[in-house]
Amino acid sequence: MSYSRLLRCAVLSFAVALATATPGAQSPAALPQPAPAAASATLLKQYCVTCHNERLKTGGFVIDPADVANVGSGADRWEKVVRKLRTQSMPPPGAPRPDAASYDRVATFLETELDRTEAARPHLGKLPLTHRLSRTEYRNAVRDLLALESLPREVSIDYLLPPDNISSGFDNIADLLFISPSNMERYLDAARKISRLAIGDPAMPVMVNIYRLDPEHPQDERVDELPFGTRGGIAVRSEFPVDGTYIVKVEVGAANGHDLEVTVDGERVALRSLGSGGPGAPSVDAPPGQPDPSDPDPTPPSVDRPAVQGRGAGPTDAAGSGGAAGARGGRAGGRGRAAAPPPLEFPLALKAGPKLIGVAFVQRTEARDEATLRPRMRSRGTQPAINSVTISGPYKVTGTGDSPSRRRVFVCRPTSAKGSGEAGSSSAEETACARRILSTLARRAYRRPANETDLRDLLPFYEQGRKQGSFDLGIQKALERLLVSPQFLFRIEREPANVATATAYRVSDLELASRLSFFIWSSIPDDELLDAASSGRLKDPKVLEQQVRRMLADPRSESLVTNFAAQWLYLRDISAKLPDEILFADFDETLRNAMQRETELFIGSVFRENRSVLDLLRANYTFLNERLARHYGVPNIKGSYFRRVTFPEGSVRGGLLGQGSVLTITSYSTRTSPVLRGKWVLENLLSAAPPPPPPNVPSLNTEKAPGKPLTLREAMIQHRASPACAGCHARMDPIGFAMENFDAVGRWRERDGEQPIDATGTFPEGTKFDGIPGLKKELLRQPEQFVGTVAERLLMYAVGRNLQYYDAPTVRAAMREAAPADYTLASLVLGIVKSRPFQMREAGGE
Amino acid sequence: MFVTKKSLPRRTFLRAMGTTIALPFLDAMVPALSARALKPTPRYGFVYIANGVIQNLWTPATTGAGFDLTPTLQPFASLRDKISVLSGLSHLQADTFGDGTGDHPRATAVWLTGVHAYDRAQPGVEVKLATTVDQILVQEIGKTSQIPSIEMSVDFPTQGSCDSGDCFYVNTVSWRNETTPNNTESHPRILFERLFGDGGSTEARLARARSEGSILDSVREEASRVANSLGRGDKNKLHEYLDSVREVEQRIQNAESQPVDIELPERPTDIPSSFDAHTKLMFDLQALAFQADITRVFSMIMSRELSTMTFPIIGVPEQHHGVSHHRNDPQLIAKKARIDLYQSQLFAYFLEKLQSMPEGDGSVLDQSLLLYGGGMGDGNMHRHSNLPTLMAGGLGGKFKMGRHLQYTLDTPMANLLLTIMDSGGVHLEKFGDSNGRILEPLSVS
Repeated sequence: MSYSRLLRCAVLSFAVALATATPGAQSPAALPQPAPAAASATLLKQYCVTCHNERLKTGGFVIDPADVANVGSGADRWEKVVRKLRTQSMPPPGAPRPDAASYDRVATFLETELDRTEAARPHLGKLPLTHRLSRTEYRNAVRDLLALESLPREVSIDYLLPPDNISSGFDNIADLLFISPSNMERYLDAARKISRLAIGDPAMPVMVNIYRLDPEHPQDERVDELPFGTRGGIAVRSEFPVDGTYIVKVEVGAANGHDLEVTVDGERVALRSLGSGGPGAPSVDAPPGQPDPSDPDPTPPSVDRPAVQGRGAGPTDAAGSGGAAGARGGRAGGRGRAAAPPPLEFPLALKAGPKLIGVAFVQRTEARDEATLRPRMRSRGTQPAINSVTISGPYKVTGTGDSPSRRRVFVCRPTSAKGSGEAGSSSAEETACARRILSTLARRAYRRPANETDLRDLLPFYEQGRKQGSFDLGIQKALERLLVSPQFLFRIEREPANVATATAYRVSDLELASRLSFFIWSSIPDDELLDAASSGRLKDPKVLEQQVRRMLADPRSESLVTNFAAQWLYLRDISAKLPDEILFADFDETLRNAMQRETELFIGSVFRENRSVLDLLRANYTFLNERLARHYGVPNIKGSYFRRVTFPEGSVRGGLLGQGSVLTITSYSTRTSPVLRGKWVLENLLSAAPPPPPPNVPSLNTEKAPGKPLTLREAMIQHRASPACAGCHARMDPIGFAMENFDAVGRWRERDGEQPIDATGTFPEGTKFDGIPGLKKELLRQPEQFVGTVAERLLMYAVGRNLQYYDAPTVRAAMREAAPADYTLASLVLGIVKSRPFQMREAGGE
Repeated sequence: MFVTKKSLPRRTFLRAMGTTIALPFLDAMVPALSARALKPTPRYGFVYIANGVIQNLWTPATTGAGFDLTPTLQPFASLRDKISVLSGLSHLQADTFGDGTGDHPRATAVWLTGVHAYDRAQPGVEVKLATTVDQILVQEIGKTSQIPSIEMSVDFPTQGSCDSGDCFYVNTVSWRNETTPNNTESHPRILFERLFGDGGSTEARLARARSEGSILDSVREEASRVANSLGRGDKNKLHEYLDSVREVEQRIQNAESQPVDIELPERPTDIPSSFDAHTKLMFDLQALAFQADITRVFSMIMSRELSTMTFPIIGVPEQHHGVSHHRNDPQLIAKKARIDLYQSQLFAYFLEKLQSMPEGDGSVLDQSLLLYGGGMGDGNMHRHSNLPTLMAGGLGGKFKMGRHLQYTLDTPMANLLLTIMDSGGVHLEKFGDSNGRILEPLSVS
């Protein structure tokens, strides 16, 4: 063997990725005739063994063609081979390779053998018996258990609990959901705050919820959910724990001559003119039903003054989706802002429950003109603007009220206790009602029928609370205790005593119900699902399928977009992206939020409208509002609401690859990165992630000649000339190049600086493509690659563990199952639900 | 701990939070604290900086006492007698062994363990590292303090991709045992509440502690019962839960038995918008926790491996990780050096803060030992050799500071970790890949 051959084999080995599961099956009817073992062996000998032999061990990988007689005994290795064949990423560029039909024949032969072996001796993977709820699951569980939809910012779950670790993109991997003393402290704190809020504790301390508007956020348009005829401002959806007085404090920028209104659920409750005398001057205030301004709270609150502006907390943060521990804004705040006048305060008497609080300017024609005439700038200048809204309270509690949470919790009311009652011991009637309330809560929270032991855990806390105060306080204390229970915080599965170690068994119906609800809803089962499980009907395939379809149709399945897809595609990264503020001067929080929203709406439409998941790539439509349309250069889209926009044939937009979110998260802060984009596509769309770069990457020349820098493409080509890099970059870079017409924030461009964009790419096997349309066509040429990736990620997310080689047959089976339905999400989800890893468990032993 | 809260005017505090000027917001409370004659207490801090450093601008040219401060170390000029720089130490267990966890995650994982991070591509185990030095020290000196240890980060945990998917290795440098990392805290308000409670009267907080105590008691019983009912399977996670319950119970007991009478500033509300203000605020809170002896051990991720943080304020709008792969481009080298310098400035700010807190004959700084550095030497080349390593304080004279100590290249960093644990009374034969001890930094070697 020549030295150069040896070197080539060595360096090409970097392309041997660590494979886990492999897509690539076709429906059985369409299967080409499998090559007999001997023919496969010949092909492997011809194309693979030159490098992957015992002597060279290129990439640490040896293929012995004789082993094809018994593929099952080396399933882990053969699955890697299958993946390389299906993605045609081996043999490496430059080496001779078989024709497409031969690729397919060998791969199909190996897959058939592998599937047969796995069916005969299934592996289920190792899952711990206890699986802590992720932060997202905890949030949804609290929502569904207690009917708490929009937590006030101070008690939003993202603030109360730390984020979870991510592994291979998902944060629900059982082994990586750790618990440490600091978590425990946070759980205690969260339980106290949530139980007070849900029950409506009259002694509840004042909450101070600050909602800041980004200083770059233009306020010249109506905000979604706010009344027509207003502009700017913010809409905050929040729970109010009790009937009482709350204070809405508004910090405005220079706003002379403008009118500010406060609305509750769309109804104006206060209007104030910010006359030339500044705030505090003449005001038109408080229609009937509102507290008398002359009778302010006896202890007027001094609400925390917002410390600084400029964190990445746009209006969406109000809903708790932004995340208290998200990205630091990183941009200089408050540029171009005139000195702010003192804040305005509006005391409001509000009933307990969820409310939409709006604070906005009343629209005036000249304001619109002013905005139209003014060139778009990042700061708001002297335009009227709200800097922050602080909602604090409760002050002067007038009653516990009748909130959805209380209705959810209090399934009975003792006649002796109308919410208050004397402190003391619980009457027989009260105790009976308390037992009923706590049994109902425990059943939902622990996701199984409640029993006497559960009540023995909870009732002492009820009794203690009852002793200190009302019946309600007793329930609140018991709820606080329940929310820290290991049976709430963990999904727990039990091994039947009579199952021998290392044998597979079907999980119980109740365990299956939790597996289903955490997969499809990222939350606890509802009563209907629990009923089906308790009565033992859930294991019936018909009932199971009917439940899955019902659950997919339920709004809670939105978590498959916001939790599953957002993690799968790394969309959460968008909140941490900081595009350079000089190069990308018009990238602001509004745009960031719009990008995220576009992708969520788009994926949601593919899922809900029962479209093929392939539409995620090939759709000719997306969802835009005015801000995003302007960014994309799409004309005639007006207003801040999103609507479906269909593009003409051959358009570059439509589908994930034309969306600002994806294009921004795969870019650096100052420029695009064909490598990151190529890697993202390979990893997330094709399950063909390249391994991390080798150590000691040689440095590159960045100049053609002194003072004459290389273009990005020239630098990349030079990079690929280096043998250590070629193996992977030969696949990554062409994909990234095809996306080069989009800049680092997803705008269309024809030139990069001085250079015209060259969006052509060539795969190692010689396939050429040009631009996004060409790339899409190439990705769709082998649709099984993409569908297999979706199925694989769904399986990983559904079972909560990283996948292994032995999961590949399950993925292939789910795909075969979904093929007749043209790969809708529902068909893939059903395929996963019916699989053995989803329905079974392997008895562990020590 | 119970804190009698006497608020300073809120404005004073918040002004300090929102500005990049180093307004020492907690200084106002120093007189109250120094009035308490705290007896000298050993304390340890571990501050991680990521993606290596530009080494020729970090490593002093001369060795021994009176070494020349390099550009990156300039911020320590006034503290030169309080720091030592160690060069030549390496963490070769962070190198790839042909597995896929990634050079960056392994760099973080190895820093306080000397152990090669487990690669979960192998079936069966998802996560395996080792107990870190800080947590071993906690067992010795932190058990009776109100909060055994604090873990924080000012470079937020990643929510997306990591080198290999093993993000948990880069998000913390502190591991309780080989399968349980400590998560880090980034929010100053949450840190504040953990340290000082969330307001209310002393009675209210006592009542809350009692209530939490009885909840913990009850869930401990429940968890044991559940664990017994599980049969043979893996109960690891339930044990994590039980350990956490017991430790929080212990914390509450410690807190009840050790009232601390200090004046407090108002709670912070939000994470400051600038990295500068955020980092200083977290350091301020940690300094206060040291001073009041609420905790004796902390770790902080000042920058995270693979960090996407940008620093426009110092003229680096590019992401930290990208800049660290400078490919010998002089402009990128200059930018990475600027980040290195900036981090030195922030750490020097913390040292000065501790220096300004009198304790015994000297300062809180003198009683502490702080390790500042990371598991990546050359970020451009992914080398885990010649790691940036700086010690500060001296632990009440146990360590002799003010020197640059040069070691033969690739002397195990784990040798220094052994020495550090020795100083806290934990004497291990071997740690990670150690092959001896480093004695030179000690006053009596």
